[in-house]
Amino acid sequence: MNFFFEVLIGGLLSGVMYALVALGFVMIYKASGVFNFAQGAMVYLAALAVVGCMEMGAPLWLAVILAFAIMTLFGIATEKFVLRKLVNQPPIALFMATIGLAFFIEGLAPLLFGSQPRALDLGIVDEPIAWVLDNWNMVISKFDLVAAAVASLLVATLALFFQYTRVGRALRAVADDHQAALSIGIPLQHIWAIVWGVAGFVALVAGMMWGARNGVQFALTFTALKALPVLILGGFTSVPGAIVGGLIIGASEKLAEIYIPPVLQDLFGGSFGGIEGWFPYVLALLFLLVRPEGLFGEKHIDRV
Amino acid sequence: MLYREAGQFKTSYTADQQLFPIRQDRIGVLVLLAIAFLGVPLFASDYWFSAILIPFLIFSLAALGLNILTGYAGQLSLGSAAFMAVGAYAAYNFQLRIEGIPILVSFACGGLCAALVGVLFGLPSLRIKGFYLAVATLAAQFFIVWCLTKFPWLSNNSSSGVISTQQLIILGHELKTPLEKYLLVLAIVVVLALAAKNLVRSATGRAWMAVRDMDVAASVIGIKLLPTKLLAFAISSFYCGVAGALYAFCYLGSVEPDGFSLDMSFKILFMIIIGGVGSIMGSFLGAAFILLLPIFLDVALPFLAGLFGLPFSSATVSHIQILLFGALIMFFLIVEPHGLARLWQIGKEKLRLWPFPH
Amino acid sequence: MSGRKIGEVILDLQNISLRFGGVKALTDISFDVREHEIRAIIGPNGAGKSSMLNVINGVYHPQEGKIFWRGQERRKMEPHEAAQQNIARTFQNIALFKGMSVLDNIMTGRITKMRANFIEHALWFGRARREELEHRRRVEEVIDFLEIQHIRKTPVGRLPYGLQKRVELGRALAAEPAMLLLDEPMAGMNVEEKQDMCRFILDVNDQFGTTIVLIEHDMGVVMDISDRVVVLDYGKKIGDGVPDEVKNNEDVIRAYLGAGH
Repeated sequence: MNFFFEVLIGGLLSGVMYALVALGFVMIYKASGVFNFAQGAMVYLAALAVVGCMEMGAPLWLAVILAFAIMTLFGIATEKFVLRKLVNQPPIALFMATIGLAFFIEGLAPLLFGSQPRALDLGIVDEPIAWVLDNWNMVISKFDLVAAAVASLLVATLALFFQYTRVGRALRAVADDHQAALSIGIPLQHIWAIVWGVAGFVALVAGMMWGARNGVQFALTFTALKALPVLILGGFTSVPGAIVGGLIIGASEKLAEIYIPPVLQDLFGGSFGGIEGWFPYVLALLFLLVRPEGLFGEKHIDRV
Repeated sequence: MLYREAGQFKTSYTADQQLFPIRQDRIGVLVLLAIAFLGVPLFASDYWFSAILIPFLIFSLAALGLNILTGYAGQLSLGSAAFMAVGAYAAYNFQLRIEGIPILVSFACGGLCAALVGVLFGLPSLRIKGFYLAVATLAAQFFIVWCLTKFPWLSNNSSSGVISTQQLIILGHELKTPLEKYLLVLAIVVVLALAAKNLVRSATGRAWMAVRDMDVAASVIGIKLLPTKLLAFAISSFYCGVAGALYAFCYLGSVEPDGFSLDMSFKILFMIIIGGVGSIMGSFLGAAFILLLPIFLDVALPFLAGLFGLPFSSATVSHIQILLFGALIMFFLIVEPHGLARLWQIGKEKLRLWPFPH
Repeated sequence: MSGRKIGEVILDLQNISLRFGGVKALTDISFDVREHEIRAIIGPNGAGKSSMLNVINGVYHPQEGKIFWRGQERRKMEPHEAAQQNIARTFQNIALFKGMSVLDNIMTGRITKMRANFIEHALWFGRARREELEHRRRVEEVIDFLEIQHIRKTPVGRLPYGLQKRVELGRALAAEPAMLLLDEPMAGMNVEEKQDMCRFILDVNDQFGTTIVLIEHDMGVVMDISDRVVVLDYGKKIGDGVPDEVKNNEDVIRAYLGAGH
């Protein structure tokens, strides 16, 4: 039973990291209705920017600031040169444009900062927490716990930002109704620029966490892709949804990875690792059949 | 003055509903077919057949399949490569396990298997659209490739799922040379492209486009949404499946599941975005563009780098290639959402008026 | 006015209530439609008129009430089933297929009458080809009737509003409907376009005997062309009868002019 809980907790903690990536999607989707497929690529770019700046001799704090500046500039440029030109296009065209954006970033980032996999050291060691190991005989990574704490902090900050600042209120107004927000004098384009800046910041935090955990490499984009099933579960418009969805995906994929292969092995022989690779997507697919609007999404009625 | 429909009067609906209603188009298509079947074999080298023409035709077919689903029926899929994989592995298994089955029947059965799997993953399309559906097709992409890698039976117990395809024997004659393979692929692609053209100008195609343009109105005029969408999934996957079988049998000869990656699915999607969403011809133009661009870059970039004395590696070429693909997708979506096919159309309309500009 | 004869009740709605979550769109509405008549539904904005049409052709499913179509009670029905029972409609905000030509749009209206399957379509042979020609001829009759021959091959997205409305009517007519539901067919038109549209509606009713249920805001038009009028306000029925009755109904006058009058 201890082993089960160990897997479960490990999964939940890594789920928090998925939620971190998913948050960036939710931000942009809420404010501009764009489903930003490139969020994963932005995570990759942010992580590469940090290690790239550090390789050029910058200390960690400066590298983070520089990377934040790069992400913000990039977000603003994307909004200005790509998305603004696609206003009034069907959402599916915008979605495909962000796929193009993802490729653009995945080509650009290694050109700027090099493509070889690198480690990112944030000074947090990835070792089991001794106290838990002694008392319950469970291996829970210290790093995962810190990452979860960082993610929670970020979510809390964002929630406060949305709830209590002027910009946050404007953002919520825009998310509710573009036209109405425009008509009471909220500058839509500034808001979108800010949103892309914030999404860049979220990508930066996620990129540093994932980079420190798994190394900064191209495979990060695949990890970040798992934010998509998280969103399906949680609903595209809900911050709490992103978090709960992340936890469910993280925990279930780890449990599936441990408990499904032996069953298949008994049935068919051979080895069946790597279930993590598809499990979240299939789970999301099945979930869609039951509840297309997600756990926390709003039910949508087609008007004709 | 060459391209002018003046004087071609249609006196019956039959004449107006021809495949290519304008005489010059008919002649053009015939000339193109003559060149492809007779002219090209006279001049092209083996390199051209096996490195450019065969993959071009195969990817055109896959893009055509995706275009039926995305361009005509409006259902976005990110799993085309996985459906190709199903076609390839199914065709391989039919050859392997059924004594004396003709190769073309194997290809068709491969396509049918892909169609079946496509329908399965298309089921959620009743309740979800757009990017929700795209995520659902990602499930197909990852799950299918994983199955092909992990279930040894599917690849006849080969390690990590690699299969080497059987000989191509048609009516007792073995196709060995690139030229023979090219002609086989060409014939299959031409037949399937004509069938696709017929489908999209018939009631089936109109139902797809109606669902794409406004699904509520489509159902109000009597179109059943789920069967219409599932048919699009089935036919699209059939095309992708046959393309996959050709990819394995006529192009590479030996494939592994990981070869049918998400990256390949994206490439096929890019082909239809650049070539033209909702255009048969666009599928061919897009495939040509996406396949030729890397070849062009491989030549042009080292030359340019040499010119400016910049350091250069093959990794750089591949990064620039990815970057350019992304930039082109955004460019086309912004500037010409109907792709190269629309540019071709505009060119023809200009030509129709030439030399009088108005 | 003409030789048409108003027949039996073909659609009978009894105590229909429709809710979206907590919002009541329709409350306990009953009325009937007789064969060959022109039945208007009027009422202020938000009165539930479009919802009523959506209930009739199965887009919305009311929580309460019964619907009888040609004497038979209809259980839960999907829109495509309504189409198969020969109920066609147009929409308030034009719902044409923007990427297709006028001809193709109207051809889709005949989809329930086509029998060939996709394999025949792919081969373009036999039944598929015959059907395509046969239905093309019928569609051309609709095109002639609506006087839109000159835009046959134009993508509908490029047409002006008034013509789009006409094409949408054409798509509905192509189905040779027994009952035609028109949702504000004249909204946003100028007087001349309205006259044309009235003429088409009356001709359809007269020549083909099509029963018409019509939502319209232009009172002049409604009073002129309809046989009976039902009035809705806030999802409730407040009046029902021939135009002259409705015109003098106290509740209707209050709903339209406010309580002060």
